[in-house]
Amino acid sequence: MQSNAQLEYDYSVVKLFTFTTILFGIIGMLVGVILAFQLAFPELSNLAGEYGTFSRLRPIHTNGVAFGFTLSGIFATWYYVGQRVLKMSLKESKFLMTVAKLHFWLYFITILLAVVTLTLGITTSKEYAELEWPLDLLIVVWWVLWGVSMFGMIGMRRERTIYVSVWYYMSSFLAVAMLFLFNNMEVPTMFWANGAPSSAMHSISMYAGTNDALVQWWYGHNAVAFVFTTPIIAMIYYFLPKESGQNVFSYKLSVLAFWGLMFVYLWAGGHHLLYSTVPDWMQTMGSTMSVVLILPSWGSAINMLLTMKGEWGQLQTSPLIKFMIMASTFYMLSTIEGPIQAIKSVNAIAHFTDWIPGHVHDGTLGWVGFMVMAALFHMAPRIFKRELYSKKLMETQFWLQTVGIVLYFTSMWIAGITQGMMWRAYDEYGSLLYSFIDTVTVLHPYYTLRGIGGLFYLIGFLMFAYNIFRTATSGRVLDKEPANASPMAS
Amino acid sequence: MFHWLEQRPFFFAVMLFATIAFAGIIEIIPDFAKASQPTVGTKPHTVLELAGRQVYIKDSCNACHSQLIRPFKSETDRYGMYSLSGEYAYDRPFLWGSKRTGPDLHRVGNYRTTEWHENHMLAPAEVVPGSIMPKYPHMFTNTADIATAYANANTQKSVFGVPYDKDGMTKLGSWEEAKAQALEDAKKVAADMKNQSVKDAVANGQVPEIVALIAYLNSLK
Amino acid sequence: MKKMVIGGIILIVALMAGTYFVAGDAFQSDDYINSLTMLGALAIIAITVSTVLKYVNQIKNDTATGELADESWDGIGEYTNPVPSGWALIFMGTIIWMMWYFFVGYPTNQFSQIGQYNEEVLENNAKFAKAWENPSDETLVAMGESVFLVQCAPCHGVDAEGIDGKAQDLTHRLSKEQVLYTIKNGSNNLGYPMGAMPAGMASGEGAEKIATWIAGGMQGEQPAEFAACASCHGPDGKGMNGMAPNLAEYDDTLVTKVLENGKKGSIGTMPSFKGRLNETQEKALRHFLNSIQVKG
Ligand code: HEC
Ligand code: HEC
Ligand code: HEC
Ligand code: HEM
Ligand code: HEM
Ligand SMILES: [Ca+2]
Ligand SMILES: [Ca+2]
Ligand SMILES: [Cu+2]
Repeated sequence: MQSNAQLEYDYSVVKLFTFTTILFGIIGMLVGVILAFQLAFPELSNLAGEYGTFSRLRPIHTNGVAFGFTLSGIFATWYYVGQRVLKMSLKESKFLMTVAKLHFWLYFITILLAVVTLTLGITTSKEYAELEWPLDLLIVVWWVLWGVSMFGMIGMRRERTIYVSVWYYMSSFLAVAMLFLFNNMEVPTMFWANGAPSSAMHSISMYAGTNDALVQWWYGHNAVAFVFTTPIIAMIYYFLPKESGQNVFSYKLSVLAFWGLMFVYLWAGGHHLLYSTVPDWMQTMGSTMSVVLILPSWGSAINMLLTMKGEWGQLQTSPLIKFMIMASTFYMLSTIEGPIQAIKSVNAIAHFTDWIPGHVHDGTLGWVGFMVMAALFHMAPRIFKRELYSKKLMETQFWLQTVGIVLYFTSMWIAGITQGMMWRAYDEYGSLLYSFIDTVTVLHPYYTLRGIGGLFYLIGFLMFAYNIFRTATSGRVLDKEPANASPMAS
Repeated sequence: MFHWLEQRPFFFAVMLFATIAFAGIIEIIPDFAKASQPTVGTKPHTVLELAGRQVYIKDSCNACHSQLIRPFKSETDRYGMYSLSGEYAYDRPFLWGSKRTGPDLHRVGNYRTTEWHENHMLAPAEVVPGSIMPKYPHMFTNTADIATAYANANTQKSVFGVPYDKDGMTKLGSWEEAKAQALEDAKKVAADMKNQSVKDAVANGQVPEIVALIAYLNSLK
Repeated sequence: MKKMVIGGIILIVALMAGTYFVAGDAFQSDDYINSLTMLGALAIIAITVSTVLKYVNQIKNDTATGELADESWDGIGEYTNPVPSGWALIFMGTIIWMMWYFFVGYPTNQFSQIGQYNEEVLENNAKFAKAWENPSDETLVAMGESVFLVQCAPCHGVDAEGIDGKAQDLTHRLSKEQVLYTIKNGSNNLGYPMGAMPAGMASGEGAEKIATWIAGGMQGEQPAEFAACASCHGPDGKGMNGMAPNLAEYDDTLVTKVLENGKKGSIGTMPSFKGRLNETQEKALRHFLNSIQVKG
């Protein structure tokens, strides 16, 4: 073991990314709540002309929460966790410090431009890859910068062995780089305009039809894996043991779950294309590999739950621990729900229905959202050197948001299964029982409930933002960094 | 072995990348080899249709509408023949969608008409009571981007060898020719429409977004 | 702990009950996909809740033990505990299952989704043909209504009245504007044996009179100008047994022709439904349209 001579870590970039996590979180989730209510009360779609319709706003929500909120959280925690588990400080390298700062600013500009272009309807339409080619190029630049900082920091490490969290961050970096490049292969059309005054922003995909779909969902599924899953696992492997002061339950389980996940995830993308026009064998592969995927996914969750063995007291008293245990639970829920939705016969109903957004949000709200907020809560006292402003507010937020998630996913389960069954229903005369609109109006109560659930979650998020803001500005100043449990004022 | 790797980040990264990249190679390469061949009768989109397709993308209709009829009786009864791979041969990007908040549109051209779309896009709930689809009045005033649609078609032709201007295929020609043809097509659509300002615009050589969009929707068969 | 178990059970029951309550109708059919989906939904929640409770129980009652590995990162240590055997076994199990599925159970060279579809359709058609070999008139009307609501109502409205003039009002035959329009423009899209109807068979006041009379349901005295029409549509305007359209009511020939060829008229365009409906369904539609007409 190394001596624990205190290193001075540099948190300036962590702070910047913390700020954008909160900013884009508020924007993205606010738009999510608006979307939810627009489906319940469609008049809301026409309040801001062409810019306020459900369809224009939806990509702003998905990009805002995935690439604004979640990625910011990932970068914030990377620069925090990275320095600490590698035992190096950004202060030690001017170069890496500059890279990190540049990474932040280019990223920030990209997301702002994303909001502007999507509002204007500049999009390629491919889900989670909507941004047009000039923005794609910008993304490549800061993604590379992130890689430079990552491998640079690893190169400067004092800790010989790299920790589990770093494996997962590395996997995100590598996988997203590969997926992103292939899926965003697009040709700007202005170079072949042949004299026509064509738009400079427009591009078309390098692949056509079924092939395009194949590449898209190979990307789309694994974007879920390497944005909403692996970096979040990286977080829980650091923040749960650190906050609780417990040792990780099993190194062997960490290793098996990691390599298992890395191998299996990439095969499962076919489950987005079941009963489509891609070859049957590829669909079967996507379907069966999804079932295999349950275990490597659950491995990490189980490892974390077992890390807390005997720590019931902490779970009861610390809202921070509650957030993380609940996050593992929702992670388990969504990683068995996904595989079951990937079974062909179930997907025949689930696909295209609200059950899919239901699945999406028990993962994103329960797992991603909770874990990112827990990470920021844990980091706040250390980066601001102040006590967390209010424990009571955290407790209230936790329960409000948990209720919000339950409302969200239960209503969408019911809505999705109902709608899926209605689409298939025949009457006694052998004709379709329901016209399409019947299957829409029946959803009104569930859309309303989902909106309310989402509103709860958003209010909780605003409490979180307020809590962090007050921590940074008026929390009691700490003279020493807390080793484990984060100090919080009641 | 794992522990060894964990102490050598470079090899770790190489192993990791190989593990991740493996599936992609197996999954994607075979199907690209026999890249989706167009079905008989499938033709590249006209410039006006492409302009409409761009409107469809701009307003993210794919957020609520799929264009993929799965092989189930309940879908073929509702929407028509299940979709075939070759029908998408000229679709860049593909527009299958992943959510059916509204109905599938892959063959909507078979059972809805210009007037119907005109009424519906302006105020869906007045045509289909209870509809939650947004109103799109701005499409009646915004002008469609025919120039970019032409660049789009010409890129497909030049870069990807899409058979524009081939025998029996869609004609493209020069920008001037294509512009004239698009206007000609737009006039046919506008003739079936009621909205006077749209008709006037087309008569004046402008193509409102709604006209291009309807041309595209009508082409989905 | 007890509270959590009860909470979990309540959640499961509530979800299932909720789904059953709203989707029960569909569930009663013999579509195995429905049953599998419900089973899947149940499995998701039951497996997750029970597994998490198992570990929560350990959080509550167990204690952390094990040998620590040498390293520690920022104070975080790792035990060298073995992998939980249940986890490892199930992992292996799923891999074996996957291999079985792929190579033995449903080998991909023997399964085709289109084959599956063809079977589904054949089975369904056979069932349908058998059940409705000789449908009664009432059955046909009901069946027609059910087809109408899915296929036609988006244009003609659920009440078939044409949504404020956006499509034909199918409870009344022709409106005055429609007749005037046809007289002025002629008509040629329905495919009657008489072929096309020429434009300008009447004009001015004569046309007005004819149109008013036809739109009024052909009540009262027939205007003399109608003679110009009678040569094709018959003296009673009923189309001479299908040689030209029946102007008095929606008869079987007219509905059949419209479904076959679609129609373009003063209101707009009606798409052709050729190949989209089977014979019984078309017959049912005819019966249904007949039943809702306001006659006379
Ligand atoms: C909020 C979701 C939503 C968005 C966004 C949306 N639609 Fe719809 N759409 C619906 C719903 C729900 C229906 C079914 C009810 C109806 O016919 O209005 C529908 C019906 C339709 C239909 C009729 C299809 C049929 O079979 O009856 C067409 C055509 C259509 N939409 C086109 C579009 C286009 C083009 C856009 C984008 C500019 C669009 N929609 C955007 C929800 C949406
Ligand atoms: C030469 C024969 C002929 C004469 C004369 C004729 N019609 Fe017709 N009419 C037809 C045929 C054939 C059709 C169906 C045309 C089609 O296929 O669209 C038709 C269609 C119509 C329709 C449209 C029916 C519908 O359901 O769309 C109306 C209304 C009509 N005729 C009214 C008249 C009136 C009024 C006159 C006299 C002023 C008249 N017709 C004279 C042959 C004739
Ligand atoms: C896309 C819209 C649309 C759909 C779907 C549709 N119709 Fe129509 N239909 C129309 C319009 C528009 C007219 C009026 C045409 C005119 O006279 O201008 C019409 C006219 C008719 C007429 C009168 C034709 C005549 O000659 O007077 C009948 C009968 C009819 N429809 C039956 C049906 C039936 C049955 C269905 C369903 C199987 C159906 N329609 C579906 C739009 C539609
Ligand atoms: C074992 C792991 C998982 C499997 C096998 C899985 C499987 C699936 C399936 C089958 C779908 C539906 C595809 C369709 O029919 O349209 C889906 C959609 C989705 N899942 Fe998962 N899922 C898993 C975990 C997760 C997690 C943890 C998250 C996020 C936190 C997530 C996020 C999503 C998203 C965002 C979509 C929507 C994709 C779209 O836009 O259509 N999934 N998943
Ligand atoms: C305040 C909470 C939120 C609400 C109310 C909300 C609401 C919505 C709504 C209404 C949709 C569209 C669903 C549809 O088309 O039917 C959606 C889509 C989506 N949301 Fe959220 N959202 C919230 C938070 C989040 C967060 C925090 C994330 C990610 C971290 C997220 C990720 C997504 C994704 C990936 C989709 C696309 C799903 C798909 O295509 O299947 N959302 N959300
Ligand atoms: Ca892109
Ligand atoms: Ca989606
Ligand atoms: Cu997936």
